[in-house]
Amino acid sequence: MGTIRFREVVKTYPGKQPVIALDRVNLDIGEGEFVALLGPSGCGKSTLLNLIAGFEEMTSGALSFNGGTVDSPGPERAVVFQEAALLPWLTVEQNIAFGPSVQKRPRAEYEPKIRELLRLVGLERFAHSLPSQLSGGMRQRVGIARALVMDPKALLMDEPFGALDAQTRMSMQQLLLDVWQSLGTTVLFVTHDIDEAILLADRICIMSARPGRITREITVDLPRPRSVDQLTDPAFIRHKAAIMAEMREAQKEHA
Amino acid sequence: MNDAPARALDAAPVPAAPKVKSRGLFPAGRTGAAMRAALLPVLVIVAWQLAGSGGSLAGGVLPTPDRVWDAWVVWAFGPQGMGLNPYSGTWLSNVLFSSMRVAQGFVLAMAIGIPAGVMIGWSRAVSGTVDPTIQLLRPIPITAWLPFSIAVFGIQDMGAIFLIALGGFYPVVVNATHGARDVDRNWIRAAEMMGASRFDVLRRVVLPAALPAIFTGLRIGLGIAWTAVIVSEMVAVKSGLGYVLWDAYYVGRMDVVIADMLSIGAMGLLSDRLIVTVEHWALRWRRLQSASR
Ligand SMILES: Nc1ncnc2c1ncn2[C@@H]1O[C@H](COP(=O)(O)OP(=O)(O)OP(=O)(O)O)[C@@H](O)[C@H]1O
Ligand SMILES: [Mg+2]
Repeated sequence: MGTIRFREVVKTYPGKQPVIALDRVNLDIGEGEFVALLGPSGCGKSTLLNLIAGFEEMTSGALSFNGGTVDSPGPERAVVFQEAALLPWLTVEQNIAFGPSVQKRPRAEYEPKIRELLRLVGLERFAHSLPSQLSGGMRQRVGIARALVMDPKALLMDEPFGALDAQTRMSMQQLLLDVWQSLGTTVLFVTHDIDEAILLADRICIMSARPGRITREITVDLPRPRSVDQLTDPAFIRHKAAIMAEMREAQKEHA
Repeated sequence: MNDAPARALDAAPVPAAPKVKSRGLFPAGRTGAAMRAALLPVLVIVAWQLAGSGGSLAGGVLPTPDRVWDAWVVWAFGPQGMGLNPYSGTWLSNVLFSSMRVAQGFVLAMAIGIPAGVMIGWSRAVSGTVDPTIQLLRPIPITAWLPFSIAVFGIQDMGAIFLIALGGFYPVVVNATHGARDVDRNWIRAAEMMGASRFDVLRRVVLPAALPAIFTGLRIGLGIAWTAVIVSEMVAVKSGLGYVLWDAYYVGRMDVVIADMLSIGAMGLLSDRLIVTVEHWALRWRRLQSASR
């Protein structure tokens, strides 16, 4: 349930000057693990995530989810997009209900669940608002609720908090920690924020660009449950220093 | 949670109407705007009236506004069947003839144009099969189709409806195509990731996302539909505003010609308002969006 495996995965975008976005990437993510992908802009983080999501096809290699191949998007691999990507003509509630309703699940089953999720993300009073009436953070919470309502085996999150201000970002990180700690789904989380990666992840995969590769994997052994208060803990700072050193190292090797 | 709902509440209410300073002649607000809008037409009518003498100008060709008004009153409310004035009392029925043709032709244009456009924009296969043909036929002006239409349908309603449907079809299909093609890729991806089938994506994402463009196409198409009905009535049908227009010109009734032109304009405006009203309702979500941006 929820394992992800990349074996020598290559992704090339064709064109006049083909772009090798991923070059022989290997990655194993275990059941219930929280993995952060950390790297500079353009190194192929989104490409990697889009491959597991089923949005794009790899050029060569092997990619599996729960031991099976990935050939199209599906609700067991829920995606949270950077700009939420909510449907603007649907209310908050309708956006969350979209998945269950296209899956023809009985309304009586998912309606109570939506109510519970709205409460969990603190948006009960906004059930009937349109996305355009919400702040960025609130929209992103709808995006998370929309993913969770499908009981996904993995959550794929592509810089979900990248567009938010620092304060909102922290409250979203806390929300995600709380949700994940109670659900235990596998999470692949793309970010270029080191603090965010350390705070959230069990393991951080550092990527480098040109060619896009995973150059380092770092295990974060901060105790759980975690909270945003830990951002200033000495243990946290030590981790950060170590990771920055590794990143500098990785950069030198690939320069 | 720090980004409290309260923040969005602050943003949600529609901002108070900005204070409009009255500028120059007119008072602020709606009344002033209406007065400003009416200024030019009133000036034109007054100048037109003053330029004429004895009920006409330009050497007797053009009637003055009062004559046009009188002609319209007889046309609209006069007793029917008076031998001397064949137009007397026939305004409403002619307006209805033309409007019905526009309605029928335009419904046809929508019924074919919207699904066709959405499919062309959504599916590369459909686009490759159908779009080149449409682009090939589109440069042929509807007026050039007139002989074809008369030859095929004869001098009757079907010919007019065919022209209207054809003229309205092009802008509808082209705009629907653009709307369906420009759908945010992440909306489609999000729907697919939630388990939507290709048909779900078409119906629940592509179609609503294309609606704003579709309405643009409808408004343009409706304008062309009115052009088409007038042209075909002038040439190929024996009733309606277009028929009266040409017939009145032929017998030298320029007062009726101008009253007819203004009637066509009024009907065009009215039908456009109708679409705008539907658009307003169908795109409520967009109004809220622009109000909050
Ligand atoms: N559809 C595409 N066609 C061609 N090239 C692409 C496409 N998508 C991405 N690329 C290229 O592939 C490389 C990796 O892109 P990707 O979006 O995966 O990077 P990223 O790490 O997510 O960057 P960012 O942090 O800016 O989101 C980049 O060089 C990009 O220009
Ligand atoms: Mg990216």
